Amino acid sequence: MNIISVKNLVKRYEFYRKQAGLWGTIKSFFYRKKLYSDAVSSISFDITEGEIVGFLGPNGAGKSTTLKMLSGILYPSGGTMSVLGFNPEERQKEFKKQFGIIMGQKDQLVRDLTPMDNFLLFKEFCEVSDADFKQIFDELVSLLDIKDILDVQVRKLSLGQRMKCELVAALIHNPKVLLLDEPTIGLDVVAQKNIRDFIKKYNKLKKTTIMLTSHYMDDIKELCERVIIINHGKIIYDGKLSLLISTYAKDKMIKITATDPIEKIDLEPFGAVEDYQEISASIRVPRERVKEVAAKLISSNLPVDDILIDEMPIDDIIRAIFQDKK
Amino acid sequence: MLVLILMWTAIYNSGSGIIKGFSLNEMITYVLVGNIFAAIIRNFLPSGVSRDINSGRLSMFLVKPISYIKYTFMNEIGRVGFITLSTIGTLGIILFFFLDRVVLNTDWRYIVLIICMLFLALIIELLLGFLVGTIAFWTEEVDGVLFSADRIKRFFAGGYFPLSLLPVTLATISTYLPFAYSFFVPAQLYLKKIDLQAGIIGLGIQLVWIVLLSTILSMVWKKGLKRYEATGS
Repeated sequence: MNIISVKNLVKRYEFYRKQAGLWGTIKSFFYRKKLYSDAVSSISFDITEGEIVGFLGPNGAGKSTTLKMLSGILYPSGGTMSVLGFNPEERQKEFKKQFGIIMGQKDQLVRDLTPMDNFLLFKEFCEVSDADFKQIFDELVSLLDIKDILDVQVRKLSLGQRMKCELVAALIHNPKVLLLDEPTIGLDVVAQKNIRDFIKKYNKLKKTTIMLTSHYMDDIKELCERVIIINHGKIIYDGKLSLLISTYAKDKMIKITATDPIEKIDLEPFGAVEDYQEISASIRVPRERVKEVAAKLISSNLPVDDILIDEMPIDDIIRAIFQDKK
Repeated sequence: MLVLILMWTAIYNSGSGIIKGFSLNEMITYVLVGNIFAAIIRNFLPSGVSRDINSGRLSMFLVKPISYIKYTFMNEIGRVGFITLSTIGTLGIILFFFLDRVVLNTDWRYIVLIICMLFLALIIELLLGFLVGTIAFWTEEVDGVLFSADRIKRFFAGGYFPLSLLPVTLATISTYLPFAYSFFVPAQLYLKKIDLQAGIIGLGIQLVWIVLLSTILSMVWKKGLKRYEATGS
């Protein structure tokens, strides 16, 4: 069953250009041309129950705009969407009770209150019953391990602790759909991993449908089987993460280890040498020539000890896609 | 406010004892009592609402199953409570110095009417404040507008001088506007310069304004949300 269904969604923003300086300002006061830009131009996708979908794209690609439309914050300029059978534009109460959103750069918690008081406030907002609250709350607190910060004012917490509390606040009504806009932004590696592990466990436990944007590839690699890649408001890839590699990576990497140091010059005839370290190196080779080059490497008189053929790192692939489509 | 009292004292001392039916004591009472009324029903919604819109904090409310308008109204009443108490406290101190000059009114019918009028004025002020705050949907620079709106409101409320000093047409017009019921009319009622019947008609005018303003607000709010760009994140 499709939990989220989007068809030809468009968001058009108005903006103006102003010439630099005071004179430009005065001129723009009397005459300015209205310009339009499509932050999201006609995207369509479906997401089924329990999926975790990674939503990737460079800054300004339209990720946040899409999530804001799905959550009912922004009105779309065109197209249709349906989330849990509701139209987010109508902002029905029943709809809001069933979904949650976290924006990494924006806090929902009231900073003067303690996390506990915040949770109680959100409980009232979402009209959660006492029994449900207790059960969900206990579960979340033990999963996130935040028992000892529940009674400290939010403004005194570290970013990592605060993000954990944000998660609890966004999940206290047990939503069926969760939108996460850069939930790990600004966190250190350990805190990022904590949040990631939590999302993974939570999804397994509750079968919550999750849509997630992140600039950290580790988040995507660990959490999402499926990714949607968007750039300049258009979807350029929608499918399995693993398939992305074979579709878009034209090259493979041959990693060699040697018994004795090899000169870089000696390797260059085989392909583009990357990551050269005297007794080990990676050579980038077009996919269809990998076998041939590997065979040549072994049969050459270079002191090659071991050969490993690997896919390109996913970060590089995505970077390549972005540059490609510009 | 102290300046206003001293100014009126100087004016009265230099001229006749009564200006447009106001004796000096009545004028001092008008200023003091009117300011207490204004302090009770005052709110800070315009700046709060416009800040939430410009900073994108509004987004956080749009995704929760609560009404932002109701939330801010309740929040504002709670917040204003404390400020009101402290303002009334300071006014009380000033009142103490002019105790021998203040006219007293202990007629319970007037007091009940004044309380009703202030309650409705409180609602009107909340609606107006919210409406002014929504300007932020259309422009980012709201401080100037808020300042001017505040001045105009205060003028028509009779906060600078009693509206009866105005030319008759202007004074009549101002009784059909909602502002006068936050300062001038209840202060006049207190001084018994307006009779009970006129006061009750005033309540009716206030109710009409409440209906009108809430309709306008819900329309403007819907229009504004269409333009809302959730900037700031």
